[in-house]
Amino acid sequence: TEPCPAVRPLSFSPRSRPPALQQPPGPGAVLPSPGPFPLSRAAGDGLLSEPLGHPDFFNVKELFSMKDLFSARVHLGHKKGCRHRFMEPYIFGCRLDQDIIDLDQTMDHLQLALNFTAHIAYRKGIILFVSRNRQFCHLVESTARECGEYAHTRYWQGGLLTNAHIQFGAGVRLPDLIIFLSSLNNVFEPHVAIRDAAKMNIPTVGVVDTNCNPCLITYPIPGNDDSPTAMELYCKLFKMTIIRAKDYRKQREVFHKLQSKEEGGCARPACASRGCRAP
Amino acid sequence: MAGSRVQKVGSVFSRTRDLMRMGVLRQPLWFEVYAACPPRREPRYRPARPRYGRARDGVRDIFYPEDAVRAKFYRVYGSGPRPFDLLQPNYKSTCQRFVEKYNELKEEGKIEEEKLFEETGKALLASGIILQRRGTDKVSIKRSENELASGLKRLHF
Repeated sequence: TEPCPAVRPLSFSPRSRPPALQQPPGPGAVLPSPGPFPLSRAAGDGLLSEPLGHPDFFNVKELFSMKDLFSARVHLGHKKGCRHRFMEPYIFGCRLDQDIIDLDQTMDHLQLALNFTAHIAYRKGIILFVSRNRQFCHLVESTARECGEYAHTRYWQGGLLTNAHIQFGAGVRLPDLIIFLSSLNNVFEPHVAIRDAAKMNIPTVGVVDTNCNPCLITYPIPGNDDSPTAMELYCKLFKMTIIRAKDYRKQREVFHKLQSKEEGGCARPACASRGCRAP
Repeated sequence: MAGSRVQKVGSVFSRTRDLMRMGVLRQPLWFEVYAACPPRREPRYRPARPRYGRARDGVRDIFYPEDAVRAKFYRVYGSGPRPFDLLQPNYKSTCQRFVEKYNELKEEGKIEEEKLFEETGKALLASGIILQRRGTDKVSIKRSENELASGLKRLHF
């Protein structure tokens, strides 16, 4: 989509609305570009829309199987008394008071979540791993470091997302995706970052155990978040998807560069930004 | 650029879409991806209300037909002679062997229902697994050892 023109502060009376906003630009309109666009934008339509054609473009389904989930003990939930009401649709049953999570649903949700993560990584989004479980804090931080993304496994200060421009300075870029490997904090309450991400319109992916609230998480993954085997499995899967998506992106950028050089298209950046394909 | 911090109204996607329609927000990175592959449930906020009246949760108990045999086994014999080794993925406990033998004998059909439990115990004994009933003394060999020891003590005086 074309970037919207400069926005003046809105006022509610229709007469004072600035003229530029009255007629939104149509799909074929050519807007004056503010300057030379970077290569990814110029090659824009092909590079970003290519992966969206297929529901599982990055083939994340092959990274895990039902047997892997079972042997990593992903299906084990908490006791019946700890159950959260909104987790009931994801629970298969209750064996002697212990909840068993439905792995068919987990497979489906995990595929959607990994697919979304891959697309965000492909588009060079910033991914933040959050987990307040002290047992796995080191694992999460090393996973983030290995895939070149970010992690926050310590105390979450109140205004990290909501007051970012004052805490970090103007022009800070917020994460484009937050991955919760454990959606509760140390006192078994929902992590503040879930609510803050929803406030700042940041999508979230999160592993929800039977005592968690999956409402505000965009792509929940019902599964165990307390066993070391399960956490290692999740970290491994996220790392593999992100690295896979980033490698594919590098390949496509090189390919597009070579292609545009071959076509010998308009070398002037101002023309390229308008989609001019003059030979 | 504007934003909407009302997390209790609609979802992240609906708020972003409406702000874009108004023209005050540029399309974020994730918008197209969400539109192409949406989640199974739209992430709207729901307040957690308590259940009233006769409403029950939909989570069923998991029970198998063999659980009746297992319950009787644990009541009579306790947890079995061998400790459970959970590190092996295909570990079969004494109780599991008992249940399998029980089902085999039941399928053969030669023994009546009431005697099936005792017959399974005897069959396991024949294959080398000794089952101790709960609440009885230790093995009788030890008792004779004690008698011998007390007899020897009496001789010293």
